[in-house]
Amino acid sequence: MKHILNIAYYEVLHILKDPILFLIVFVVPALYAGIFGVVYYSAAITDIPVGIVNQDNSRLSRQVVEAFSHDSHFRVVEKVDTYAELKKGMQEGIVRAGVVIPEDFETRVSQHRSAELLTIYDGSNLIWGFNTRKNMMEVANQFSSTYTAGYLAGLSMNKNEIKNVMDTVSLNMEVWYNPTYSYVIFMFMGLMMMVIHQIGLLSVGLTVTREKERNCWIQYLSAPVSRGKIIIGKCLPYLVMNFFNYTLLLWISANLIHAKIEGSVLCIIVLGLLYDIIVTFAGFFISVHAPNSLQVTRYLLLISVPLFMISGYTWPTRYIPPVLNAIADLFPTTWMINGFRLATVKNFGLAEMMPTIGVMLVMAAGAVGLAYTFRKDRKLSATGLTVNCGNVYPRRAFVFLRPR
Amino acid sequence: MKLMLKQCLAITRREFYYMWRDKGLRYILLLASLIGLLLFAGIYSAQVLQDIPTAVVDLDNSSQSRALVQKLETAENLKVTARLSNYAEARELLEQGRVVVGVVIPENFGRDVSLSRSTNVAMLIDGSNMVYATNASSAVLTITRTVSAEAGVKTLLAQGVEMNQAKDAYQAVDLKEEYWFNPTANYAYFLVLGLVLNMWQQCCTLAACANIISETGVSSWLQIRAMGISKFKLFFSKSVAHLIVFMVLAVVLYVLCFGVLKLPLHCGWGILLLFTFAAALALHSVGTMMSSLALNAVDSARFGMIVALPSFVLSGFTWPLEAMPHFLQLLVWILPQTWFFQGLNYLTFKNPGWHFMLPYFEGLTIITLVCYGVSTVATGLIER
Repeated sequence: MKHILNIAYYEVLHILKDPILFLIVFVVPALYAGIFGVVYYSAAITDIPVGIVNQDNSRLSRQVVEAFSHDSHFRVVEKVDTYAELKKGMQEGIVRAGVVIPEDFETRVSQHRSAELLTIYDGSNLIWGFNTRKNMMEVANQFSSTYTAGYLAGLSMNKNEIKNVMDTVSLNMEVWYNPTYSYVIFMFMGLMMMVIHQIGLLSVGLTVTREKERNCWIQYLSAPVSRGKIIIGKCLPYLVMNFFNYTLLLWISANLIHAKIEGSVLCIIVLGLLYDIIVTFAGFFISVHAPNSLQVTRYLLLISVPLFMISGYTWPTRYIPPVLNAIADLFPTTWMINGFRLATVKNFGLAEMMPTIGVMLVMAAGAVGLAYTFRKDRKLSATGLTVNCGNVYPRRAFVFLRPR
Repeated sequence: MKLMLKQCLAITRREFYYMWRDKGLRYILLLASLIGLLLFAGIYSAQVLQDIPTAVVDLDNSSQSRALVQKLETAENLKVTARLSNYAEARELLEQGRVVVGVVIPENFGRDVSLSRSTNVAMLIDGSNMVYATNASSAVLTITRTVSAEAGVKTLLAQGVEMNQAKDAYQAVDLKEEYWFNPTANYAYFLVLGLVLNMWQQCCTLAACANIISETGVSSWLQIRAMGISKFKLFFSKSVAHLIVFMVLAVVLYVLCFGVLKLPLHCGWGILLLFTFAAALALHSVGTMMSSLALNAVDSARFGMIVALPSFVLSGFTWPLEAMPHFLQLLVWILPQTWFFQGLNYLTFKNPGWHFMLPYFEGLTIITLVCYGVSTVATGLIER
């Protein structure tokens, strides 16, 4: 135990002495949480700039314009009076949606002929497009209801009669888990889990390469300390720090960003612990086998976007080819970010989370097993550079270009 | 002049050699973006969100309820994948994510409709994934309008209102919908190019992050200084090599995206490549600045990526800039990625012309000048 604590103590010293590593471990997670939190703080898309081309300018068409003006999802942009102006506005991003009311709109309605409003969505960004479409349909439905109620009132019906007619078949739409269509609930925690993953790997990924670059790794290998103690001693500070970051980000997300984190606390802790173990020991394994700190940093930094996209967190797995889903299932991020959503947004209990926890348990065991694959009795190569990394230093610290 | 050119070419050639010799960088530049392209094209190969899995619980099983189920079956984007016997089953499937929409038709639905009595149909949507939720909601809203109107007309007729009047009451407006710039609402069109170029910009930033530190961080720096080659000449020539590599990589990606995957390209190749070159310069300048400020190559890479990683989210390419807080809307324009991804979206989808794109070129140019300026000052200070 003393050996483990000694190794852990020196690892902590390394972290404290390396100001950039210190920042990455203790500041960057909260910084990213803050940045992404601010990005998604509004949670939903409101004030969609809409251009309304009112070619009819009748009483009914003005009611349509009013319906959009009074809806909080839309902001009617002035001075978009013609189709050409609407086209230009859409092209230059001044408006993101359009409504064209045709010339004979009211006349057609009064003559019982089909009257169509042209609604236009900006397909260049489908977050705009789909949200606009949903909101426009809501406005149109609302407008239709108001129109119908007005018409029936004109037929001398009283309020109750009108209500009875209009409620003959009520289709009540309930949106579960995220009734406000909040992007904070949808996206934010997935990004936070990726931050934990990246910061965890980037910090522990240097634990052995750093020793190699300082020609100290051989001392670990030759010391009368078992492999297990070296691994645990090296990983212990990162296990603690990664879990600290996990809880810190959960606190920030729940209290400052108001992300939805409900459900079983036990599930959240178990998921966090398993994720922490997987990331830390996998990082150690990478560090043992990586040639130097620079390569570790470069490769690890590039994997975040592909891992996030392939996980099915945003684009549903049902629409991703099975082979890619199978590949995604090999990565802990897939299980963690989707599992975390099930636990915190859908309130899955421990029993329902067992498949996810089971897979992550296996992955945790695998990561620990991989970390244990490093051997103390490796043979030195002819150049002597297999154990340690090199013998020159860059400006003040690590190796960049190794001599051949 | 000839000597200077010769020296520059020699340094550029040396830089190509160094980039090739650095195995990690070589693989990153050659493979990362291409693998990213394959991956993202695969992920979005379905292109559009159709056939949203829907469960129906028909507790009535009358002709009216069956007519409603038929409407659901023919509804845009919905696909009835489960017919269940009770609400609990629908709830279970929704919770498990096996269906996204659940429709529960109550008992006596047909009788109530016939007698013009009020009846409620529950339409449940799993909102945990917004991509599903917004599309499913739109589909449900369309059905809601039609079904409510039909029922209302029948009720009015039953109450003795004339057919014309009953129809008029529910006529109001119909919507004719158009997606401009991406008529089929194709997700691959929207995201693949942006995601691939996000990988590209990360690779470029990583490569540029070695620009200065790879010279000043090794002992050969003194030899180069002793040879009398000016710092400007050295780093200019190195940067030329980097930029050539960045542009070659971008052209390969563009050919694959626009030529093979047929992603939409509404602008000309000339303006696209020129804009990409301006972006490559700006990204290179940011990386160079990081490499002039860092104490070693690892820190330089870390600095570069601390900026490059969140930049895609901040750029407004997916979550719109207009939905971000006002101060952030202004702040994100200090990142070259914001200028690049915003400009790229306009160019590829909307082709608004040179005049509109001019501020984007200017923005990238200013960032380039500032970052190279900081690099020059920082490198000069280190020399002291």
